[in-house]
Amino acid sequence: MHAYKIAPWRVQRQWIGNALLAVVALAMVATLYLDVTSQAAIAGREIQDLTASISASQQVSGDLQTQLASLTSARVMEERALAIGFRPMETGEAEYLVVPGYSVLEPDILSSVPLLQLSALTIPPEYNESLLDWVDKKIATSARGTQ
Amino acid sequence: MRQQYARRTQALTSVMGFIALAIIVQMTRIQNSPEAAIFRQQASNYAYELRTFYPDRGEIYDRNGHLLAGNKSVYEIGVDLNIVKDPNAIAAAVSVELGKDYSQVLDSIQNPPEGISYIVLSDFVDVQQAVRLQELKKTLEKQAAEGVRGGLFGLEFKSHPQRSYPENSLGSNIIGFVSREGRGYFGIEEKYDTLLAGNPVQTLVPTDPNKAFEIPRVLNGTTLVLTVNRDLQSSAEKILDEALTTYGADNGTIVVMDPRNGELLAMAVTPRMDLNEFWNYGTIYNNATEFNPAISMPYEPGSVTKILTMAAALDSGTVTPDTTYLDTGSILVGGANIQNWDQAPWGLQDMTGCLQHSLNVCMATLSTKMGAGNFYSYMDNFGLGHLTGVDMAGEAAGRLKLPGDADWYPVDLGTNAFGQGVSATPIQIMMAASSIANHGRTVTPHALYAMVRDGRQYDVPAQFAGSPITQQTADMLSGMLAVSLESEGSLALVPGYRIAGKTGTAQIPVDGFYDSTQTNASFIGWGPVDDPQFMIYVWLERPSASIWGSETAAPVFGQMAEKTIVLLDIPPDNIRQQIVAK
Repeated sequence: MHAYKIAPWRVQRQWIGNALLAVVALAMVATLYLDVTSQAAIAGREIQDLTASISASQQVSGDLQTQLASLTSARVMEERALAIGFRPMETGEAEYLVVPGYSVLEPDILSSVPLLQLSALTIPPEYNESLLDWVDKKIATSARGTQ
Repeated sequence: MRQQYARRTQALTSVMGFIALAIIVQMTRIQNSPEAAIFRQQASNYAYELRTFYPDRGEIYDRNGHLLAGNKSVYEIGVDLNIVKDPNAIAAAVSVELGKDYSQVLDSIQNPPEGISYIVLSDFVDVQQAVRLQELKKTLEKQAAEGVRGGLFGLEFKSHPQRSYPENSLGSNIIGFVSREGRGYFGIEEKYDTLLAGNPVQTLVPTDPNKAFEIPRVLNGTTLVLTVNRDLQSSAEKILDEALTTYGADNGTIVVMDPRNGELLAMAVTPRMDLNEFWNYGTIYNNATEFNPAISMPYEPGSVTKILTMAAALDSGTVTPDTTYLDTGSILVGGANIQNWDQAPWGLQDMTGCLQHSLNVCMATLSTKMGAGNFYSYMDNFGLGHLTGVDMAGEAAGRLKLPGDADWYPVDLGTNAFGQGVSATPIQIMMAASSIANHGRTVTPHALYAMVRDGRQYDVPAQFAGSPITQQTADMLSGMLAVSLESEGSLALVPGYRIAGKTGTAQIPVDGFYDSTQTNASFIGWGPVDDPQFMIYVWLERPSASIWGSETAAPVFGQMAEKTIVLLDIPPDNIRQQIVAK
């Protein structure tokens, strides 16, 4: 106390120090905020660009698919087959061999009850589960193993 | 000294504080000034842009994965009037590349409607043309500095999908087409329009990258897989085209169906159109029923209907295959004299003989023995006069007059039994006959095999549509029809395979009277008889080489059956029976 009385500037220096600390802290937060915001903006711009390029790629893919279908259309394929010396097969020309154990795939049997047949694409969990999901799965697996 | 230092510090703090306060005040004032509001308004104008997202229309494939209908990119070419520098250069480039009228383009750029900042010069421009124009724009922009005359500044290119049909006219009657407005017409394109199309979404898209998550995800239309076999369809069309030339028919139809589940494997008709040039529709067809006669053009099918009459008579117990009757060549029904096709008596006949010789008098005898109530009940159960529910747009129901209808007369009971006075489409007759081929169970004909959306596939199950006759009747009649074809040495037969079928020759009514020189020649058949895997219907309109179905439609059936057997890989009966035995 005595020291503060004989040197009051020490108090002022403390205030200035605290104020400067606050300013520095604010500046740091502001810098951090600016950095995060700019990164988010860059990421957002990348998302916009990628979305646009996905659309463009899908369009190109569609174009190529249609072009390929035109190049392999029934008429074109038949012309090409005939040009290289093939000819359509007649019924008597086919030779059939009875292979023991082989069963021919049967078409859908007639059903009066419409059945819903959904088949989702199967993606391995490595491609879509998070670290938490993985840990959770491991814990569950080990818990089942100990039971 | 220290006090002086303290005062200076205080003064400096005050000044700094004042400056800081002034800055804050000024910032607040600027933020809330009228000018700020204007700037904010201007900024908000650029914060979002109105965009239309066109989902790609779902594709259509055949059962083996061949693309029948897809999408290709085309361009909308327009002008942003705010940045146009040289309207003359744009008009010149567009007129040369796209064949547009120079003065018209120039006028639309120089005198746009009030308040418009973007005008469309041309839409559905081919990729090659658009690319040429884009390259020209780049070249001119490189050569001329901005602002210098000659640049194509302001010329904009926006790509969007357009329907494309890689097989051109193949299966055009099944597929249908899509107009430039994106609406499906006829066939699958119309029937499943809402599924295929998806919905274009017009929305405000944020330009702020921090709001990128707001960009809408537009789901593409559902992709459809058809039951149609492209190669079989191609063969059917080729056989049909050759048949029209060989037999001098006006038009024709060949339909191939799997009688076990109603899957349509091929449906060839004439005329057909290149779906990529759908604007020719009006020049090819006189009316909508001509687009797919197989489902939308009812006609008097004639003697092919006799299989239904015989099925009804056998099933109701009116006759058995061995029942005999003495054919005198004519019968009086409802006061009208009904005669055989050759106006001759055929003597003692059993029921197989009735079918083999296609005796009208026999059929009229059966229907009158059954009585109107019983006969029409069977015809109704076979589906005559009803829509089949085939999943293609534009189906017609045909007409089966019933007792009590204003235009039904007692003679109709006799004539309807052999296919006169009743109208049906080929698909209706096939559906009705499927009950005979499929051991008594009728199938619903359909062209959709599966739907694919968002990575999931939904297989469309076959639909059971009733049992108008018993299995015993169906199998018995199939055998009788096979014997009748074999006995007459029909041109429809295929060596190595047992086929059941029936010809039909129907005179065409002209001005209220049947013209004996103009006929509809038909044939319906299926095989192999013990395990039917295909059913084929052939219809030739007004064949000039011969009026008889047995000489025109039957050989076409034979050709089509041979092709079907090869393409569906059906082994001969003896091999197949070996496989079954093992």
